[in-house]
Order: sequence, then structure tokens, then C-alpha cells
Amino acid sequence: MSAKLRHRAPAIEVPPALPAEEAARIAYANDQGLTSHHFTPGEHPIVRIEHLNKSFDDTLVLKDVNLNVWPGEVVVVLGPSGSGKSTMLRCINLLETPSAGHILIEDDEITNKSSAEVNKLRRDVGMVFQQFNLFPHLTAKENVMIGQTKVLKRSKEEAEAEALKQLAAVGLADRADFKPAQLSGGQQQRVAIARAVAMHPNVLLFDEPTSALDPELVRGVLDVMRDLAENSGMTMIVVTHEMGFARDVADRVVFMEDGVVVEQGLPEKVFDNPENARTAEFLGSIN
Amino acid sequence: MQHRRGALLVALALALTGVFATTLAVPQPAQALTTEKATARPNEDGGDGVIGGLDTRLTWEGTVEPGEEVTSVTLTLPEGSTFDGSTTRITALEGLKRMDVTGEAAPAGESITVSFDQPVPEGSLLRLEITNMQFPSEGGECVVSGTYVSGGETHDLTASKPIETIANTPLQSIVNWLDEQPWVEAWNSNQFLGMFLKPQLLVTSFSSLAPGWILCLGIVVAAYPFAIALGLLFAMLKISKWRILRAVAVIYINVLRGTPLFLQIYIMFFGLPMLNINIDNNILGIIVMAINSSAYLAEIFRAGIQSIPQGQYEAASSLGMNYVQTMFTIILPQTVRRVIPTVTSDFITAFKDTSLLSSVGVMELMMFSKNLTTVSGNITPYVAAGIFYLIVTLPLIKVVSIVEENIARSERGGGPRPKRRADVADNAAAQIAAQSKEVAADVC
Repeated sequence: MSAKLRHRAPAIEVPPALPAEEAARIAYANDQGLTSHHFTPGEHPIVRIEHLNKSFDDTLVLKDVNLNVWPGEVVVVLGPSGSGKSTMLRCINLLETPSAGHILIEDDEITNKSSAEVNKLRRDVGMVFQQFNLFPHLTAKENVMIGQTKVLKRSKEEAEAEALKQLAAVGLADRADFKPAQLSGGQQQRVAIARAVAMHPNVLLFDEPTSALDPELVRGVLDVMRDLAENSGMTMIVVTHEMGFARDVADRVVFMEDGVVVEQGLPEKVFDNPENARTAEFLGSIN
Repeated sequence: MQHRRGALLVALALALTGVFATTLAVPQPAQALTTEKATARPNEDGGDGVIGGLDTRLTWEGTVEPGEEVTSVTLTLPEGSTFDGSTTRITALEGLKRMDVTGEAAPAGESITVSFDQPVPEGSLLRLEITNMQFPSEGGECVVSGTYVSGGETHDLTASKPIETIANTPLQSIVNWLDEQPWVEAWNSNQFLGMFLKPQLLVTSFSSLAPGWILCLGIVVAAYPFAIALGLLFAMLKISKWRILRAVAVIYINVLRGTPLFLQIYIMFFGLPMLNINIDNNILGIIVMAINSSAYLAEIFRAGIQSIPQGQYEAASSLGMNYVQTMFTIILPQTVRRVIPTVTSDFITAFKDTSLLSSVGVMELMMFSKNLTTVSGNITPYVAAGIFYLIVTLPLIKVVSIVEENIARSERGGGPRPKRRADVADNAAAQIAAQSKEVAADVC
């Protein structure tokens, strides 16, 4: 290929990923007081983001993002649109390829994997999309089953039982045989959550799950997410504009702007007493 | 003209033989009248068959042997034939000289007796042309036999070669019936109607064109599964991430789409035999149609695949599906529905394009109608062919619009729904009944 087609922004130099033990120790020390989640000394973060950079053409949308997420922790990422929150999320399951930096899941570097390994990784990292992205040719039940049967190779019976269980959990047991087109947006998003949860991922990513919904449908989806956060012990990283949800459910709130993590901490701290002027301004404009 | 000249030659030959025989003085009294030939005039509308149960003309010729005179001839046809109501023309030739022979014909069912006013002299060729007679309605091979009277004695005639006759079908009866209708006559007297929509010919066309129509359908139906498979293959190649595969697909698709089907037919039908590859015409027709359609289908499938939103790929990826799984369980099933209308349209085109195969001698619909038009000198067979094409294409055109409507309706729910409908859907308990009705409607 010609040099023209290969044009890229100049490579960004980042230090190599820290060794697991050292990283865990530093993360433990750093995150004390930033999250209400209880983690113990010696425990390792389930997701480790180090010096993550991402550029689209010449635009750098993530600038040296560092973040640790602990097993079972619920992290809510806030920030104005264009701040890079969705991009960061999409990097975690490699829907976007990082330009530089490291993402480690259970201390396993994912940024240099082959496509087969990437597929394997994605089983363990679930994702819920803003536009639901249900498979329109399949019923709600089949949507929840297909990943289980095709990827996890579960038997049809097993997958169906799991699908019905997860649909019941999101309150849609009676809609199992409906096609997405016959469901409301809120219902579709709940099916999408069931689809992701049925894979029993280690980490569940939510990319503005309620942004495409009508206001009156938002609550049903948030209730499902709240239930998931409080009762399943699932590690969740949620990009949202729902401040109420963040305040009530999050163990930690991360505020991003312009591709940088500006501030992170306990929800009450960030909401009521933000350190950063830009955070205060953003929250003020929302509230 | 041909017949007459032939008859003259025969007569000449016979006369010579007669002279020769006389000089050698070998009389053959047992056979005084030899049957030379017996033919019937074709009475098939637009064909060259002889149909039973329909008026036609029987021509019988025999030679009076030397030393004999014939005073009467009786011709007999198989049961079911009738000479009733016929008129007979008697011709006798001696050498090249036409003789005045008069006589009386007495038709009696399946036989007719012609008595001559004066005996037909030796050595002459006797021709009887019996107009408005009919062969048996059930058709079959009809042998003309009979007797003749010579010198007061009755002898058997040698049987003629059989005359092939066609059964008079119900269709033919309809044609006969139409022939007699005054309105048909009035209709046909209009130059346009008579030339383009002659009822009798329309009726016969339908039966004679049917095999061609079946072949057209057969070719395109047999070709299409291969076209779909090939099309899918090249669609996948065209969206492949390897440049070389993409190039192969682009060349294949563009060359086939960029050249006329007519040319492709010629290349295949005349080119392959030159390489000593001889394939049955119909099979080769299927192959050409399959290859041609596959190029169009490849583009249709490619567009269909690329019209599936990126979110579908992302959702499949986020579940850990690999490319093959994503394609076959998520993308292609959705593509199929989307491309049904376009594929059906292409099928319609392919079906119509089989007509081009007539140029290389495939006996399809156009070929049949062309032949029939040539024989009948009337355009009606082409109109009948048009009707045959429409029988297939019109319902398919309807299918296209119905499917398009269905897809438009079901894809309306692809993303977030309009507020009012969302309301309805989320008021779960109260609206379940309404929704099941919607489900039922969707199933239908």
C-alpha cells in the first residue's frame, strides 16, 4: 500500500505495562478513598488501563488515560459528549483498537492479541450499546441464546433455560418470543442486557444505555442495571448521563473531559464537592 | 409445383417403362392398376400436420398398366374417415398429355367409388384429388386401400404407404369452432386484430408454445440456485479484506455486468465447441444464465450485506462471535430478507433474458413463437409468447411489492420506536392482547 493510505499520527511513546504485583500495589494505594467498593490488599484490579491513547486520524481523543477497576466494582464514567468516554469503553473490548497504551484484563494484556484471542476475550467482557443492537431477525429469547450456543457452545436446552432466566430477571419473561420490532426501546434494551449477562462476563460495559430511550422508558432500564449492580456482584463500567443513577449506584464516579480523566472519586464527593472547576461546571449545567 | 413436376417425372418414367415393358412383351394382368402414392394436404393451422376429423384433401395416384383399362376405382380408408360431402377431381395423364376423363364420384362413408365415363386407357397416370374429406378424428397411420374394376373384373388395389395423421384434440375442436364463428371472421377482418390477435392462432399458439415456456422456466429455475451460490461467493470476495480476492471479484462482476448477455451466449455456445467441449444446449443455457445472473446477484448481495448496520457486527463481536459465525448467523439471515425484492426482480430479468438463447438454437419460447410466426405468417404467436412471459412475471412483480411492503413495516421497529407506539408497547399488561394481534398480523 502507498504511504498515503498508511498515514497515521506519529506514534505515541508510552512506558511498558507495570508488572502485575507492582500495579496491584500501586492501584491499591491510589484507589483508597476513591471508591466505596471494598477491595483487599493483595487483590488485583480486574481491568487496568495504563497510558491509554487513542487517535482518529489526527485527532487525539484519549490522552494518557489511567484507570483501575476492581472486581465487583461499579464505575460510572461521566463527562460531556466528545470527552472520549465511549471510546475508552469501546477500547476495553477492542471494538476500537488503542493507538498506544495498555489495557489489561485480569493482568492479561489485550492490546496485542490475535483476532481469535480477541474473540475469546470478548466472551468475558459484555457490552450493552446505546442503540441496543439487538438482532432483528431473532426473537428476544433467541437473541439471548445465540451467543451462548455459538460462542460458549452451550446446549440448546441449557441456553434456553439461561435465556428465560435472564429475561425473567429483566422483567420480560412474557416477551421471550417477540421480535425486537415488537418491543419498545426500553424492552429492547433490557433484552440486550439479558443477552450480555447470559454470557456470564467478568466485566459488563454499558455505553450510554439509556440515551436513545424516551424519558419514561429510562427508568425500567436503570432499575435492571441497579438490580444487577446491587445483587449480582458484576463488575460494571457505565458510561451515562444519568446523574441520579451515578449517585445512587456507583462505587466510583470518573469524570472525563477532552480525553483526560479529570477527576474520580466517591459519588458524593464528586457530585457535592468537586475538586476540579470543570467538573463542577459540568455537574452544575446538568443539575 | 414441386408435386406436379415430380408427378410428371414419374409419369414420364412410367411411360418409358411401359414402352420398355411392351417391347419386351411381359404383361402383368394381375396388377392392372398400381398405386403410386397417396398424400393428404396439411390442414394444421400454422403447422404441416394432417389432422383427423377435419376437412382435407386426399390425393391418390395410380398407374394403369399396359393392356388394361380401368372403368372404376374404389378407395377405402380406415374406419372413422369420411368421404361424405367431398368433391373429386379426376386427372389422367398419358405421357405428358392430359386426357379428358370425366366420371362420377360416389362417396359412401369411409370409401368412395369413382366411375369413369370412358375407361382410363393403359399406361396413363390416374390422379384422384378428393377435397373436403376427413381422416379419423383419433388420428394415426391411414393406409389407402380399395378395389378397381378392369375389364368387368374387380381387383384389389395395392395399399398405399400410410399417411400420418394427427388426432383432433379438444384444442383443435376449439379452433374448428372458432373458424365457424361469424364474430371471429369479423374480428380477423380487421387487419390489426387479425394479424396480432387472431383467435384461432392464439389458441394453437398456447399449445405449441407451452414446451418452450416450460424450457424457459426450467432453464432459469435450474440456473438460479447456482447463480445465488456463485453470487454469494463473489459478494463475500468483494468485501474480503484481501486485495487479491477483491480484485478477482471486481473483474468477474464488472466483466459480466459490462458485456451484453447476448455476447456471453455467443462466446459460450460457439467458443466451447471450438475447444472440443460439447455440452448439451439446454445445459449450456443454464450455465450461461447462472454465470450472468451471479454477477448481478453478487452486487445485490454485497449491497445487502453492507446495508446491515455496523452495530450488528459490533453486537456479534461483543458476544465473542468470529467472522464466520457473525456472517452466517447474524448478517446473512438479515441480508436475505432485505434482498428478496431485488433478487426477485433479477429473477424476472433472467427469465426474460432466456429469450436470447433462441439465437443459438435453444428451443425456448421465443424459438417456438418465431417458428410458428414464420409458418403462419402472423404475429399472433409472438403475442401469445408475451402472454406466457407475463404469466410468470406479473405474479412475481406483485411478490416484489408485497415483500417490500412487509420489510418496510417490520424494519420500522429496527431502532427506537416512535413515541406513541412505544407507549402502547410499554403499557405491558393492558396491551398484550393488542400486541399478540400485531404478532399474528406479522406472521401472516
